[in-house]
Amino acid sequence: MNNEYDVIIIGGGITGAGTARDCALRGLRVLLVERGDIADGATGRNHGLLHSGARYAVKDGESARECIAENRILRRIAPHCVEDTQGLFITLPEDEEAGYGLDYQQRFIQACRDAGISAEAMDPREAVRLEPSVNPRLIGAVKVPDGSVDPFKLCAANILDARLHGADILTYAEVQSLILEGSAVRGIRVRKRRSGETAEYRARVTVNAAGIWGQAIVRMAGAQISMFPAKGALLVFAHRVNHVVINRCRKSADGDILVPGDTVTVIGTTSTKIPFEDCDDLNVTPDEVALLLREGSQLCPTLASTRILRAYAGVRPLVAADNDPSGRNISRGIVCLDHATRDGIESFVTITGGKLMTYRLMAQMATDAVCDKLGVSEPCTTHTALLPPTVDNAFTAGTPDGELVCECENVTMGQIRSAIRNFDIHSLADLRRRTRVGMGTCQGTYCVRKAAAALAEAQGSPADARPLAEEYLGERWKGMMPVGWGDTLREMEFMQRVFKAGAPSTFK
Amino acid sequence: MQKRNISPNNFEQCVKCAICTDFCPVLKVLPSYPGPKHGGPDGERLRLKNALFFDSNLKYCLNCKRCEVACPSGVRIADIIHSARDRYGEDRPSLRDWMLANTDTMGTLASPFAPVVNGALGLGVTKSVLDGVMKIDHRRTFPKYAGRKFTTWFRREAEAAQAGYKKQVSYFHGCYVNYNYPQLGKDFVRVMNALGYGVRLLDKEKCCGVAMMSGGMFDAARRNAAVNLASVGAAASEGRLTLTTSSTCTLTMREEYPGVLGIDNEAVRDDIVLAVRFIFEAVERGEVQLAFKEGFRARAAYHVPCHMEKLGWSLFTRALMERIPGMELVPLESICCGIAGTYGFKKENYERSQRIGQPLFDNIAQVRPDFVVCECETCKWQIEMSTGVEVRNPISVLAEALDLEATAALNHQ
Amino acid sequence: MKFDVIIIGSGQAGMQVAAALQRSGRKTAVIGLGRSINEVEVKPYEQLGGTLLIGDSVTGGIFDGDRLQAVRTANLGAYPLEADDFVIATGKFLGRGLVADMDGIYEPLFGLDVDYDPDRSHWFDADFGACQPFLRFGVRTDAQSRPSVGGRTVTNLYACGELLAGVSAVEGRDAIAGSAARVIGQLKPSDHAEA
Repeated sequence: MNNEYDVIIIGGGITGAGTARDCALRGLRVLLVERGDIADGATGRNHGLLHSGARYAVKDGESARECIAENRILRRIAPHCVEDTQGLFITLPEDEEAGYGLDYQQRFIQACRDAGISAEAMDPREAVRLEPSVNPRLIGAVKVPDGSVDPFKLCAANILDARLHGADILTYAEVQSLILEGSAVRGIRVRKRRSGETAEYRARVTVNAAGIWGQAIVRMAGAQISMFPAKGALLVFAHRVNHVVINRCRKSADGDILVPGDTVTVIGTTSTKIPFEDCDDLNVTPDEVALLLREGSQLCPTLASTRILRAYAGVRPLVAADNDPSGRNISRGIVCLDHATRDGIESFVTITGGKLMTYRLMAQMATDAVCDKLGVSEPCTTHTALLPPTVDNAFTAGTPDGELVCECENVTMGQIRSAIRNFDIHSLADLRRRTRVGMGTCQGTYCVRKAAAALAEAQGSPADARPLAEEYLGERWKGMMPVGWGDTLREMEFMQRVFKAGAPSTFK
Repeated sequence: MQKRNISPNNFEQCVKCAICTDFCPVLKVLPSYPGPKHGGPDGERLRLKNALFFDSNLKYCLNCKRCEVACPSGVRIADIIHSARDRYGEDRPSLRDWMLANTDTMGTLASPFAPVVNGALGLGVTKSVLDGVMKIDHRRTFPKYAGRKFTTWFRREAEAAQAGYKKQVSYFHGCYVNYNYPQLGKDFVRVMNALGYGVRLLDKEKCCGVAMMSGGMFDAARRNAAVNLASVGAAASEGRLTLTTSSTCTLTMREEYPGVLGIDNEAVRDDIVLAVRFIFEAVERGEVQLAFKEGFRARAAYHVPCHMEKLGWSLFTRALMERIPGMELVPLESICCGIAGTYGFKKENYERSQRIGQPLFDNIAQVRPDFVVCECETCKWQIEMSTGVEVRNPISVLAEALDLEATAALNHQ
Repeated sequence: MKFDVIIIGSGQAGMQVAAALQRSGRKTAVIGLGRSINEVEVKPYEQLGGTLLIGDSVTGGIFDGDRLQAVRTANLGAYPLEADDFVIATGKFLGRGLVADMDGIYEPLFGLDVDYDPDRSHWFDADFGACQPFLRFGVRTDAQSRPSVGGRTVTNLYACGELLAGVSAVEGRDAIAGSAARVIGQLKPSDHAEA
């Protein structure tokens, strides 16, 4: 790794990963720095909804059009990260009372069609046949091309492809300051969190793709941006309750999207403004849990008795318009700032706002801005270039690599070793984001020892297995606490027992 | 909301303690078998994500239900595995599965020619054909077909007298009694008559369906279930309980009809009772009296069949046997004998079946009983074939130990 | 069927009580929902002639005033199992001795009085390694190890093991053994030594 690049991208979330990939595909020498692991901020803390755009159609046609365009692109370039579940927007009798009845449904359908989103009204009985778990009291349903997307895999695939095209990826490196020369940003000073070393990297352009933490990066450049952290809480149910995304056909509100993703179902979300200092330590409150469950049971009544694995929250990086620093009129659209024109700061671009769905478009906009500054005319190809697989999956049962480690999520030793080879893995949480190890019903109780032993061995320090395991369970514990009753509480007792009172022989 | 937290998805109650894997007899002898945890609750969750997670190795499940008995979370593991085979299993049942599963049809075809068939089933050539063509293991001793079906005997020799009893029960004899071992049925009728009960057959009786489920023929099993439940219901409406002598038929009709086949049997479930339990309860309530033969002496070993473990009723058999003067009952270790109905008949399962049962055979050899007491007919085949020790149903033991005339006199006052 | 003592729970505490009482000549039965996660040996108890009902669960009790006369189980249906005395050692949440829902914690078999903090946010310590408050919740008993329903002591029911408030396997097995020994002392006062 030399210290001179065409472009440095700050932030290893989906926006940074996408930007790194786009820049690399256009032939730039790229460095991406991330203070933690890739995808461990807002990227990995959302629904994983592959929006059709229908949700925005009535209020914000432009966002809706962006969504459906990106929806089609992602299905094409990342089939392994996307699942075509389809989506339903349902109308309940109480929606009608609140002014969102079937006449609203008609408006909704029209708005979808105007945005180019296929939207087809369904007979309620037909909707129940399509998705048996849906609230049978529904009085109307519209089918739209929603889906689900694995944000961890999508982000990792972008990272991997960027690296395949020459990008350097530096995780666990926190930006301490920007290298400022005159009115220009010339690079970054980082502190490597594992070793404590500091280092300088220089580039012709620096891109700030640090999400909510991007406000601080802008400040390092001597400018201001008004961001508002909005916490969104979500609950993970222990299995796939529904097979089709279920939304409410009304004005967006808390807890009105239910997404089947991989082995689970996720309900979300809430929206609460929080202070910046809370962004690194998000807690889900009992009120948020109660609200999500109440609303979730409206979409799908069996949720009221379904086991909940955990609760989690992410922070939306909401950006106030420059003419409205109070944030009264916040857009959820994409914000791409060229700080040369905005603040007179050269070689510095901020890409923020937006959403998981539009990450590729955001990356394209940021990369276009970078290329513009560098005088590069290479066109964007990310709407057609396929993303690579992230972890090797083909392992045969009966071989050492075929040995199952995580039985809940069917993760093999081979997948774990492949993830360790492909990515910079320091903790079991990193490994979880690459393989789903320990994400299942027992939240790692059963497999954490095996996974920790494999990781510790790969790191050459077998004695670290136990601290790695405990660190992981500590992280899982936090997510289980807000939903600690019923079988989840039983699991928590078991987890405590396995690690404090000795494991049953099947675990040794 | 989240009150009582009872999920209709029973598999969610699994906390992944993996105790079930310790009690799975198949996993001990077949390492490639996914095991109850991974094939059951783990697998169910994965199969909800994608049906491709169905593992065809689940066909090696014995359905012994020892995982369910061991589970501290009340997960119906074996039912989950069986239902998955029903929903996702693509294996079409082979001719062999059909022949073993349709015990009714096999029995009906074979019975009139019993001496010939029995001879043929004992012959090397036929066995080789079964082995090669049907893949039924040639080392297996086939249950003999009786010369006269139980129902034929009953209609000709016993039925007329039954109306003379004030109290009446119905009898679900099962395929085994009807075709292979009518003596047990006869013993049952003699004992019940001595206790003052007349015995009636059901309006219509079909195989309980356990062998069909094991062979993957779930729809055929559903058809049989409907017939049996209707018959049990009809008997109940006339005030008759349906008694059984087979623990497996009993478990199937009471637990698997709803658990695996998805048939609601709530209305008649408790009308299906094993005869040993019924008799013990009647004796305990003082409704019937038992008079035993003088000088009965036996040292018996009690093998609790897997399905009896699951029913949780072995205490009734034990208590009833212990009432017999001169009876020494030695409990055997609670292990699967390995046959699991028709499972052990299949060529690919024979070796495994014998290895699963070996500790039990060793235990019997060590106890050296006069006979083994057991409520299950397939355990009987397996244990008799593998140890040479005779196996008796507790009802037959009772028939032998009771002074039937004296008992009848006590109960006819 | 009538026993001297019926023990509900086949974990460490339940089996300890059952084996000691059976050994001392009492006729006992153990009802256990599955095998114990603590891998408790049941064979010695069976060899003593004890009645082990594994894979069964108590569905309710038949009371005569403050006395428990009999219990019913899932497998035996309407058939009651009677005893002079009963022991409950069903464990904490994992063993289903206690059940927690969103709004509270209860003892599911008889509705025994439970000590716990009604504020769910106090059930846990965010530090996984710390002593977890919920593991100290449990059934409250009098000096003779007898629990109560609505403040009224059940006169012939004794509780031990992790079901008790303040006793948890996570903090060591000694407290479990000690609570079982106290119950044995209550039911077999003549012979303390075998505890």
